[in-house]
Amino acid sequence: MIPKIRSGIAGFDNLTGGLPENTMTLVYGPPKTGKSIFCYQFLRQSVEEGDLCTYLMTDYSLSQLEQQMMAFNWFIHDYISNKRLYVIDTASGSVGAIQKETRNMMVSFPQNPTDIASKLIQQLQSVYQQAQRFRSILDSSTTLFAFNSPILIIRVLKSYTMRIKMAGGTGLITYTEGSVEPQIETMLKATVDNIIHLDGEELTIEAMAGLKHEKASYRISDEGIVVQ
Amino acid sequence: MVTDAECKRKTYIPMLDELLGGGMPAGTSILFTAMPGVTSEVFGYQIIAERMRNETDVCFIYTNTRTPVEIEHVFQRYGWDLRSFLDSDQAFFIDSISPMMGMPAIGKYSIDDFRESEKTITNAISDIAGGVAVIEDISTLLDSIGVDPTFDLIERLNKEARSNDVNMIYMFTRWNYEKVMLDRLSDIVDCEIKLFSVEEKVIYRQVFAITKSNWIKTSGAKIFFEVLEPGGVRIFIPKLLVTGPYNAGKTTFTKAIAPDTVSVERQTFELFPTTVGLDIGHIDYKGFSADVFGTPGQERFDLLLEPLGREAIGTFIVIDSTKPETFVRAKEMIRMCRTEAIPKVIIANKQDLPNALSPDEIKKRMALWEDVPIVPVSAANRQGLDEALDILFSLIYRI
Repeated sequence: MIPKIRSGIAGFDNLTGGLPENTMTLVYGPPKTGKSIFCYQFLRQSVEEGDLCTYLMTDYSLSQLEQQMMAFNWFIHDYISNKRLYVIDTASGSVGAIQKETRNMMVSFPQNPTDIASKLIQQLQSVYQQAQRFRSILDSSTTLFAFNSPILIIRVLKSYTMRIKMAGGTGLITYTEGSVEPQIETMLKATVDNIIHLDGEELTIEAMAGLKHEKASYRISDEGIVVQ
Repeated sequence: MVTDAECKRKTYIPMLDELLGGGMPAGTSILFTAMPGVTSEVFGYQIIAERMRNETDVCFIYTNTRTPVEIEHVFQRYGWDLRSFLDSDQAFFIDSISPMMGMPAIGKYSIDDFRESEKTITNAISDIAGGVAVIEDISTLLDSIGVDPTFDLIERLNKEARSNDVNMIYMFTRWNYEKVMLDRLSDIVDCEIKLFSVEEKVIYRQVFAITKSNWIKTSGAKIFFEVLEPGGVRIFIPKLLVTGPYNAGKTTFTKAIAPDTVSVERQTFELFPTTVGLDIGHIDYKGFSADVFGTPGQERFDLLLEPLGREAIGTFIVIDSTKPETFVRAKEMIRMCRTEAIPKVIIANKQDLPNALSPDEIKKRMALWEDVPIVPVSAANRQGLDEALDILFSLIYRI
């Protein structure tokens, strides 16, 4: 029996039993198919269960994340002020906003994976001292690919995945389909344990331990992703 | 007479100059190879910040990972003033990142295309004769322009640097590259310094070691460091913890591996003299230097364990092989020291006694949740000590 954790999407958890614990999952698909919303729901479940969560955000700042989640009536303010969330924000970094950093709120730069890795390690040290299991989100790897040589980012994501899993985490990485060469996409898929594809109507589990190729239809409502 | 050390140019990285015999000869190249996650940029920045301040060197930074504005900010965090050196032209940038990000380049030189780096950097080297150049990051070049062009570039830059007495400092993040390539990279520089980590599930401490040098024999010394803001690279004296149940022979073991150990103790008038304070010693073993802390075993001192465990980089858990009833307590102490996250070795002590259990038997009885090596030792007879040290250090220094 593979230990699973809840994704935060009820229909998905009914279908699969949840995400296998201590694995890395790729959530990918065309733009606007709900990849980030998948992440918000995963984070919301982390809030619900009192897990710690690391969040590498490349397209929005922490306050934007808070606002986007508020639109679904999901509130993370207390979770943030209780220092349960560990953020590395490369979105603010890329526009040159320099702000004061804390262990929970770090700023990095999409074109500097060396710096991202060193900040991630500092956060994982803190997380590991508090909990043997936690969640992690990387939304989105697409931005990292855009700012760097794609093969370098494959190396970075391998190292990222290894670090998260060694420290006991269960993670999500998002990626916009078609934004890199097919060959790189294949390497990306080989980096993770589970693969979920979203196309706007159908959610396909392309790979997950102990599961066959599962498909289910879904829609995005004001309660997030609803899997039928 | 000029001594050898006076010809060398100091890096101003603590301990590094001692290990390099005074510093770097003029015109040589140093490659800092960092494992992902280890703080590396500070080494290059510290060398030029200190040399500009103390030796009035002229320096430049070639960057393809941080914009000049960010670099200035990083210098500020470490407490080094880059701005006034930029203003007086004692320092300048080769900005290879801003154009790529669609921003206006800042600095004396800029590069729009990595493939055209060579001419620009070569010119910059001749501008700073006798100075230091920092090139970051080699991994970005390798994955953008390819392995052979990157190596060609480095070799040509080194040649130019030699004829201008310029020291080249290359920063390189070692993602999962092939070993053959890493060896080739090491071959084309005069000196390589590896930055790596001590870890067990998470990175715990950072270490540097000179793995190659053309001008001095490398000693294999591994130097623990931490990075302060402000302050930069500082040496960290690592601590080894010796813990275990009451009367397992921790003090005997500590004194056996660290002969100058002082027992901060008060003898108790019990059946056995026991440590109620700490045993504190120092060990120098195969290039490794550490303080050794022996803890008391009685439960009333458990409060001491956590702070000691937090500081430690490795732990010996000493048990009395003739007393299986104390093994539960040993496991409890492992937990209390929070040593789950650091490398550890179980010392099956008192193997000289006739009723001592074998390591296999102990492993079974302890029912450990993970694979912790168990080494048979007789601390009283100094047997098994080297093996215990070798195993712990090999766990600590897994690269």
